[in-house]
Amino acid sequence: MDIARVSTETDAKGFESGQHGKSHRTRAPAMIVNKIKNLRPVFLTTVVIPTLLAALYFGLLASDVYISESRFIVRSPDKPAPTGFGVLLKGASLAGAGEEIYAAQDYVASRDALQALNKDGAFTRAYGTTAVSFFDRFNAGGFHPTFEDLYKYYEKKVSVAHDTTSSIVTLTVRAFTPRDAQHFNEQLLEMAEATVNKLNDRGRQDLIRFASREVDDAKAKSQAAALALSAYRNQAGVVDPEKQATVQIQMISKLQDELIATRTQLLELRAFAPQNPQVEVLVTRARGLSGEIDEQLGLVAGSQKSLSSRAAQYQRLALESQFADKQLASAMTSLEEARNEARRKQAYVERIVQPNLPDDALEPRRLRGIISTFILGIVAWGVISMLIAGVLEHKD
Amino acid sequence: MTSISQLATFGRSAAIQGRVIYALLMREVLTRYGRHNIGFLWLFVEPMLFTTGVTILWSLFKANHGSSLPIVAFALTGYSSVLLWRNMPNRCIGAIEPNLALMYHRNVRPIDIFAARLLLEAGGATISFITLCLFYIYIGWLEPPADVLTVVEGWLLIAWFGASLAMFLGALGEKTELVERFWHPVSYLMFPLSGAAFMVDALPSAAQKYILYVPMVNGVELIRKGYFGDQVRVHYDLTYLLGCCIVLTLLALSQVTAISREITPE
Repeated sequence: MDIARVSTETDAKGFESGQHGKSHRTRAPAMIVNKIKNLRPVFLTTVVIPTLLAALYFGLLASDVYISESRFIVRSPDKPAPTGFGVLLKGASLAGAGEEIYAAQDYVASRDALQALNKDGAFTRAYGTTAVSFFDRFNAGGFHPTFEDLYKYYEKKVSVAHDTTSSIVTLTVRAFTPRDAQHFNEQLLEMAEATVNKLNDRGRQDLIRFASREVDDAKAKSQAAALALSAYRNQAGVVDPEKQATVQIQMISKLQDELIATRTQLLELRAFAPQNPQVEVLVTRARGLSGEIDEQLGLVAGSQKSLSSRAAQYQRLALESQFADKQLASAMTSLEEARNEARRKQAYVERIVQPNLPDDALEPRRLRGIISTFILGIVAWGVISMLIAGVLEHKD
Repeated sequence: MTSISQLATFGRSAAIQGRVIYALLMREVLTRYGRHNIGFLWLFVEPMLFTTGVTILWSLFKANHGSSLPIVAFALTGYSSVLLWRNMPNRCIGAIEPNLALMYHRNVRPIDIFAARLLLEAGGATISFITLCLFYIYIGWLEPPADVLTVVEGWLLIAWFGASLAMFLGALGEKTELVERFWHPVSYLMFPLSGAAFMVDALPSAAQKYILYVPMVNGVELIRKGYFGDQVRVHYDLTYLLGCCIVLTLLALSQVTAISREITPE
């Protein structure tokens, strides 16, 4: 046969020329042999061989794959709700659920997760046993596999899909036994939960730690201020200059009242009975009273040890102490708020669907694989033979 | 079974076809751009101006769109790929008519005319994309792509899709001129759906599933994956895109074969 024939025959017979050959009506096996002999190489390589290989692989070689699926959401109370068009305009910015969900998702698809799964070789043992067919097995060649090889294999077996609208994460694990699939799924789910919890704890602790450090600082300050104030009181011998001064001034005014009364009495006596012996007494009393008034006035203001000169220093210390107290109170409030916030902000993984134990192998879809290989082969054959025909239309 | 002589025949025919396509290409360049002013440089200056305009426009509008993605790179990757798949059908519909006289020669077939125009369009779009990339990188508007090979892969797939679509529509357009009438509105309608102006990840996942049925979206996402690397989360179905390309190619080639029998050279 020659390729030149392709052109004319493809033109004439179009797509269904796969079956033609010399239609000798002889015995069946001879006919089949004849037909195979007459198949063109292009048809053979694009349709027959791939379909045979697919039939061989899907029919005999491929191992059953069991799929275990679980679904969870990561709940965090204050999640911004994206609107449809806003998201469209926002382009590729990662709108939607909080970062916890991405953390959980990325952790599952990470090398760390694989490392944890493969502790004492559990993962390699499950996927590398001889029970699994040669083509699907991990490390089928029996070489020394690197961790990166394992990770590449792992990426094909485990998938995490995140639905942006509903925030549901679907975790799918493919394995060669139902128990393995469920086991690994459960383990991964637990690790995802642990990741979210870790993030949470960290955030909460940070929030509270900051607030309580603030409270400690304020406490120390307020204590120091109170101590300074009491030390000054002891040293200066005053409790509260303002109040003390009020008392003092009241006393002075009383003394002054008395002095005025005494002086009036003295004036009366001198006017009507200058010889009265009471005059001497009254004079002495008046002198005593005015001396006492001067002394008391000196205590309030003027002299070195007066209350007014101490008041300035005292005021400063008292103010400081008051301020420190106020600060402490506000720090306490914010600590309380932080605690509340932390309690409220807690994100947590909520399982919607537990990892299932598959009782039937959903993959590989054998018939589908064979048929799609066949159809693809036919289409490829059509394209290639038409291209060849197109080229062969050019002649010297 | 003289397979060697078959191969020799095939090789000779291929060589002839190559010459024919080259000649048609040169003719196309001259008839389309002429020799005056910058001549055939318009081939890629035209799309470059287009893309630059769109890029500037988008930069102005979306300067505060809040996304972390560089808008210039976003616009460039999106709009260049639109040019790639849209211009090829534009040029292939009605490509046979003005070349009917050439059909008098036995070795000039419709597929050669399509091939020449496709090469020209794809080449123009590609050169404009590369030149703009280099230029923007040079003036600092753009970071170099994260993974050039993935960009190339996506680009080639879109080119393949565009080429098969173009041949299919071009061949159909020979039978009925409705194709030409419908292609223009359809191509404009497809523009917002083609993934040029959005990332699939930004859509709600219910819509993601459906938008991925548009073949170009898969290619654009692939280009973006190559360009931005881990900056973006992309969604694409390579198998689906490949399937679309193969099936469309089959349809296109069968239509081209059909019309090449019906054509009567003037």
